[in-house]
Amino acid sequence: MPRVAAVEPVGTPGEESGPAGVADLIPLVRRIVAARVPDPATADDLVQETLARVLAAAERVEPGMLEPYAIVTARNVVASMWREQDRQRRHQHRVVDLRPPEAPDEDVLAAEDRAAVAEALTRLSDRERETLLAHEVSGQDTRSLAAELGSTAGAVAAQLNRTRARLRVEYLLVSERVEPPTERCRPVLLALSSGDRRRQREVDAARHLLECDVCARLSAPLLGRGRRARDDELRVPVRTDADIVAARQAARELATKLRFSPTDITLIATAVSEVTRNIVRFADSGEVVVAALEEPRCGISIVARDAGPGIPDVERALQDGYSTYQGLGLGLPGARRLMDEFAVVSETGRGTTVTMTKWRGDA
Amino acid sequence: MTRNEDPIVTTAPMDVTRLLDEDDLLPQLVAHLREHRTRLRQEWAARIQQAHLLQAMTAQEMAAETTLVYDNYVEVLETGSVEALQDYARDLSERIIPRGVETHEVVGIVLLLRDVLARSLFEKFQRDLPLLNRVLDAYEPAANRIANTVAVSFVDERERVIRQQQDSIRELSTPVLPVRERLLILPIIGVLDRERARQVTVQLLGGIRKHRAKVVVVDITGVPDVDESVANHLVRTVDASRLMGASVIITGLSPEIAQTLVTIGVDLSKMNTIGDLQGGLEEAERLLGYTVTRSENGAGGP
Amino acid sequence: MTAVPRLFSILRQGPYLIASVHTALDDSQLVRFQEDLVHRIGADRARGVVIDVAALDVLDSFGSRTLRDVAEMARLRGAVTVIVGIQPDVAFAMVELGMDTGSVLTALDLEEGLVELDRCVAAPPVVPT
Repeated sequence: MPRVAAVEPVGTPGEESGPAGVADLIPLVRRIVAARVPDPATADDLVQETLARVLAAAERVEPGMLEPYAIVTARNVVASMWREQDRQRRHQHRVVDLRPPEAPDEDVLAAEDRAAVAEALTRLSDRERETLLAHEVSGQDTRSLAAELGSTAGAVAAQLNRTRARLRVEYLLVSERVEPPTERCRPVLLALSSGDRRRQREVDAARHLLECDVCARLSAPLLGRGRRARDDELRVPVRTDADIVAARQAARELATKLRFSPTDITLIATAVSEVTRNIVRFADSGEVVVAALEEPRCGISIVARDAGPGIPDVERALQDGYSTYQGLGLGLPGARRLMDEFAVVSETGRGTTVTMTKWRGDA
Repeated sequence: MTRNEDPIVTTAPMDVTRLLDEDDLLPQLVAHLREHRTRLRQEWAARIQQAHLLQAMTAQEMAAETTLVYDNYVEVLETGSVEALQDYARDLSERIIPRGVETHEVVGIVLLLRDVLARSLFEKFQRDLPLLNRVLDAYEPAANRIANTVAVSFVDERERVIRQQQDSIRELSTPVLPVRERLLILPIIGVLDRERARQVTVQLLGGIRKHRAKVVVVDITGVPDVDESVANHLVRTVDASRLMGASVIITGLSPEIAQTLVTIGVDLSKMNTIGDLQGGLEEAERLLGYTVTRSENGAGGP
Repeated sequence: MTAVPRLFSILRQGPYLIASVHTALDDSQLVRFQEDLVHRIGADRARGVVIDVAALDVLDSFGSRTLRDVAEMARLRGAVTVIVGIQPDVAFAMVELGMDTGSVLTALDLEEGLVELDRCVAAPPVVPT
């Protein structure tokens, strides 16, 4: 049942003077902060900080000027939080990418590391390299860089992010001493490195990682970088029989957490078992991704993807009794009956993706 | 500190408070409504009666509830907070929904109250039209918000009750009845679509395990339009029960319908069908190894 | 196979074998189970087999097929097979999947399975095939 959130009484009438004047500013300050800071806890902190500052200054401020003063203060507080975060982010990037060596032979490794970074830097364009070094090493801020380059601070920041993403990719390639085997590798690695999900979809990164061993290996540190562990998504690499059990246990685990009925959980696990077996039998390797859905209502989505030979006739594969291995010919059509939505996309020579969904019954 | 609502929308309670600060209109208004409480409430109750609303309630109940609604209403105007009204509306809905009060009635009475009060404001301020305008400007948004709150609370509550009822009807409509040791009867009444068939089957399988049943008599006398899809649902129910070691006897399938099903290609060979429930029970007891004589064993008979 | 927890066990009880699956098995393990069991049926000249699958949370097409094959091979070696312990949700999923379950004998649990075996072995089986 949707309950309306508690409405906070905003300053009682008749208490116009003194600190109550500051209290009246709360909604305004909240609005300003909330429009810029999505996280409610952080926003709350910043509102408090703003109010504290306004309160401290209240006596110095002319009457009637308290509101504009609060607006300016709120924006300053938010901006300084960003600067702080930005500093942290820059450090984080160093820590993650150019990890300080800990092994006994750390000197050697460090030297190699430095060489790798230097080499990676040479692979950037001059302009990219100069901007990056000016920012990271000389500490020049984006605004003055923008002025020099005839651009805006935002555009420079975005460019810097892309450059860092490229540097990470090139650094990995240098330190692993590999050349990307296909021309699709770099765009995919770059999309992964920048954490740009839309771009990742555009270059079909997930499929490429199945097809390309080099990228699969290189992408591990890129994927782990800065990504918060998502507990509404489970990814199971599939190669052997045992992975079929692992995949269906992952589905069972998530479906249980999403409060599916025990019957539905078993149906989901069975369907996952069927589609995962197809990967093992026909494609050597692939992956199963189990994810929670919230829209339009609670559900679970399963994507089983492989880079196998593909199914020449999907229509036929979806009919009962079509089977090329020791099953009952129920694999795909059976799984389809167990789920609410079911789609197969297959391309001969490139692989197959089965996407299926079950919605939680709201009994 | 709780977070405020959507930062962009200025919410109504703030509006109310602001107006209160600015020109003291609402306090005047509230004082007026308090002062004439008895008269206005009675007028309202009379209008409700004229409109034939809430006829499920007695005169005393009407008096009690209208007083409560009235006071809550004025309180919302005064404080700008609908919290208390919301709780009350939910509580009221809970009490009156079982008595068959409809949504239009609840919305109707709140709108009537809005009009009764608006009219009295009109009478009081009609000599000063600019003031009247401002009073109504202050009153109307708040009044609409109240009407909205009550209606939403009622509909929410009603939906909850309906869902609850559906659940219990579903349970009731597929009772798994243990007749004697190892024997269950499952009378299915009503339409057997895919969703229902699944519920019935899941419930039956649970029942088989719980009662360690060997034989289940599924009586479909109460299922209208037994067609191919119903028959296929039943075949699955039979199969699933069998996987748990229980035999299923289907009763209540007329010979004509059985014939039709076979003609259109439904495989009834896996189904043990017997004309009526009595015959089904006798067959069940035979399977279980009991001997029965029809006359003295009063087993079943619907 | 001694140190690690056993995936399944096959025990002899009179003329019968009781085969219990202890945990979810993957396809290769199921195949090994099938081979071991069929071997034991021959070696022990068993008249009947109860396969307890209560520990399986899923019986998909491969699992069902394997059990059906075991029953068929056992029949060729002169033993009756009863599958016991299929959980309600598993049974439901099996029929929703579209499994044809017609030819295998089933019972609620081990105890019922043994009763069923006694019935079938004493009076020559009326197993539908």
